[in-house]
Amino acid sequence: MEAFNNRNVADNGYFMVDIEDYPTDGWGKFKRVVKRTFRGELFVGLWVVMREMLRFDIHTIQYPQEKMPIGPRYRAVHEMKRLWESDAERCIGCGLCEKICISDCIRMDTKIDENSRKEVSSYTINLGRCIFCGYCAEVCPELAITHGGEYENGSEQREHFIMYEDMLTPIDKMKAGAQLEFEGFGSITPHEDARVKKTPLAY
Amino acid sequence: MEKLINFTIDGKDVVAARGETILQVARKNDIYIPTMCYISKTTPCASCRMCVVEAEGVDGFVLSCNTPPTDGVNITTNTVELEAERTNIMKLYDVNHPLECGVCDKSGECDLQNKTLEFGVSQQNFSTREQHRPVMHWGVIDYDPALCIMCEKCTHVCNEVIGDDAIDVQFGGYSSVIVPKGSDTLDCTFCGECTAVCPVGALVGADFKYSANAWELSRVPSTCAHCSAGCSLEYETRHHGINTSSSIQRVKNNFEFTSLCGAGRYGFDFANEGSKDATALSKVVQALKNASAIRFSSLITNEEAHILQLLKEQLNVKLFNEDARQFASFMKAYSSISGKLHHSASLDALKQADAVIVIGSKIATDNPGVRYAMTTASRHNGAKIIYAHPLEDALMQNTITQFMKYEAGSEEGVMALLTHALLKDVEVDEQTRAFLDNLDLGYLEAESNVGDDEILSMTKALKRTQKRVLVVGSDMFAHKQAANIAKLAATIEKYTNFSLLIVPTQVNTLGISLLCDLDKDENIGNVVGYNASGEVIISSLEEADLSVPSLNQQEGSVVSIDNRVLPMNVAVAFDGYCLNDIANACGLAKENTIDYTQEFNEASGFKAVAFDNLENFLSTYGEDVRGYLLDEVVCVSDGVLDEVAELPEFNGTVIYHSNPVLQFNAYTNSSKHLENDTALRGSTQFAQVAKVNDGDRVEVSFGDTSIQRVFKIDTDLKGTIALNPNFDMNLTIDRYKFEKSKIVRVV
Repeated sequence: MEAFNNRNVADNGYFMVDIEDYPTDGWGKFKRVVKRTFRGELFVGLWVVMREMLRFDIHTIQYPQEKMPIGPRYRAVHEMKRLWESDAERCIGCGLCEKICISDCIRMDTKIDENSRKEVSSYTINLGRCIFCGYCAEVCPELAITHGGEYENGSEQREHFIMYEDMLTPIDKMKAGAQLEFEGFGSITPHEDARVKKTPLAY
Repeated sequence: MEKLINFTIDGKDVVAARGETILQVARKNDIYIPTMCYISKTTPCASCRMCVVEAEGVDGFVLSCNTPPTDGVNITTNTVELEAERTNIMKLYDVNHPLECGVCDKSGECDLQNKTLEFGVSQQNFSTREQHRPVMHWGVIDYDPALCIMCEKCTHVCNEVIGDDAIDVQFGGYSSVIVPKGSDTLDCTFCGECTAVCPVGALVGADFKYSANAWELSRVPSTCAHCSAGCSLEYETRHHGINTSSSIQRVKNNFEFTSLCGAGRYGFDFANEGSKDATALSKVVQALKNASAIRFSSLITNEEAHILQLLKEQLNVKLFNEDARQFASFMKAYSSISGKLHHSASLDALKQADAVIVIGSKIATDNPGVRYAMTTASRHNGAKIIYAHPLEDALMQNTITQFMKYEAGSEEGVMALLTHALLKDVEVDEQTRAFLDNLDLGYLEAESNVGDDEILSMTKALKRTQKRVLVVGSDMFAHKQAANIAKLAATIEKYTNFSLLIVPTQVNTLGISLLCDLDKDENIGNVVGYNASGEVIISSLEEADLSVPSLNQQEGSVVSIDNRVLPMNVAVAFDGYCLNDIANACGLAKENTIDYTQEFNEASGFKAVAFDNLENFLSTYGEDVRGYLLDEVVCVSDGVLDEVAELPEFNGTVIYHSNPVLQFNAYTNSSKHLENDTALRGSTQFAQVAKVNDGDRVEVSFGDTSIQRVFKIDTDLKGTIALNPNFDMNLTIDRYKFEKSKIVRVV
């Protein structure tokens, strides 16, 4: 912190850039134009581009063909995960995300299914309202709702903004074992297994 | 003068009345003793042992829930040992309790969850082998034995308050479960009270299960709209889907002190839909201006009744409501003897009673609130319940001590016999004595079929009882001799220590009878119906020319059997017009319906209290502070008992207009959660006499009406009286309930 708090710029390796004074009279301005025109500064720049092009060392990201990698903690469009064991949806319909949502954009309906289990019959997130605060992912006891890296929300219809099916891990991706676990806030920390307390089993 | 017991709890000087337990006194004095199984309205279950306290000079712990204090004892509610004991109990409760709080319906309002957190039980220290315990489906109730903590609240409530006695504990240590009593599946009136008292998610309403969490629901305190008991309830509302407004998800009650029947608990889905249709409004207003009468039902609030009365004066029309008119004339006859406007008893008085006579009502279905109060009296005070009716009621079997069967139609004779028996050794005025002396007891007993031995055993049973209540039901109101019956009831109330409870037919029959000046319903044309039949119909039910809000969609008040003015609130939004809009278009001018609340007739006992000042809750100690009680009104008592008329005879196939369990009116009929079986139910004997078989489609003719019903044999019934429901047609609400009928099989 010391280095950041030290505001004394004089003896920290800072130095003034050598910049010529701007011309103030007409003759001075004329001289600057002539100098810039005939020194070929333009070609200096063009040469740099040309050189990197020939070397194929290109740093420009060709969006949308190319995209930046997104960090695991990036909070973009939500993902609904499936269970590794059964491929079933992880969401148990506890309603905590709906309750904690500060922009009130999550709505869910639950009902009892034919196996007497709680089933989520409808789950919607209004991304037009969502502020991507991450509370829903944080509160989820099942790691069922997480934030993914999908940040492209453009559409000509608001209704397209989110469909539950779009958020849910596709079943083929799940079968292929390609579901990515969320590593952001609220996810399981490493060595969690070792910290689990076990129920005593006398029998 | 009752002796009071002085003692201390945690050093605080407290006073107990005789019969009070340490826990009751502690709660009264705001001293906290944790409990899991205690419920105020029943005797202590004493199954949780959480309420242990230390009493000075007593070894070991004392259960505060069922121990009365002794004079001068010092009670300690909180020591390290007690804390350890309670924590251990909590640890045992938590053994293998499924960790499904995430989906459990009770999560957020669960006693086990709360107490587990309170005692900081964060891990399981004990273990036992878990067993397979599948969920049981009992109709509208689901029971999950894995979640059950065996507190026994449900069995106590079912037995001691409701009277169904339908569930029982099957003891077996760790494998104890709740089971339906004497049957494989639950066979009861489905009041759902067991689900209300269940502290965990073991007993839940099947329809509500897994549809919402406790914390998502908004509570709307209101009053039940189905019968005159005026039970307090809370509609719990929540959105459903993304683009819909709130709808009622379930109904809850303050189960610690009050009870609710299944119609109140499950029959909440009677909300109406409407829109602001100006043409329909102007059509209806036009019809009202040209009308010669307005016919309306008793399913309306006091405010609506008041507006109708004002419309009567404004538009010079007649007001028809036979149900309320008959009740009003019954009450008028009652007042002419008693000298006051309102009956003296209340449901609370009934709960405290040690002797009850019920006459003229199939009370268990007419008014479950009265039934529950009688069950409470019977179980807690050992009250003698004498039930006089032509039909035996299987639902009352557990509660009544004497069944007095009389012939249909002979109510006046029975009332006269009762009056004679109860006033035997009482000093009465000359006229009454003359009336009693002139009674032809032999004739009355023979015709009503009530023997003198029955009367004798009744008077014997009533000996040494102090708090007595006479309950008079709705069979009487349309009886030909209704006025004299009312006078007889008033005479009993006047000269004995009986208090009188008159059971109004419908939710607000009593309120309407006090607010409206009703005319006799003549079969004239040009009638506008308000929730009733007419040429133009304004209704909260189906098929209306203009839809108006139903009773859970408007603010207003009703008068309950306790003579209490109770507020109702908006649980579901209604977009259309209400009666006030119509009235304003007819020349009245008030912005809101509830602006009329403080204007009710003070001569009928109403107070000038604004609607927004009507409270709607029970205090922490269970006192009913809802609304206000009608003022006692003194009136002229110039009535004279008439001679008992010749008792009519009802032979052949007689039908009794009476609703099945949980059905009361058009609202309960429209509910999808309640069974609406409109079958004509009769005994096998009835089937033989009427020459019909089980399942036959029959045409039932009575008076000049004939309807079609399916006939079903009910093995609980005896005799030649069949039950004809009236909740679905509302044809028979104003008729004497017993009727000779002709039953023909429809081929």
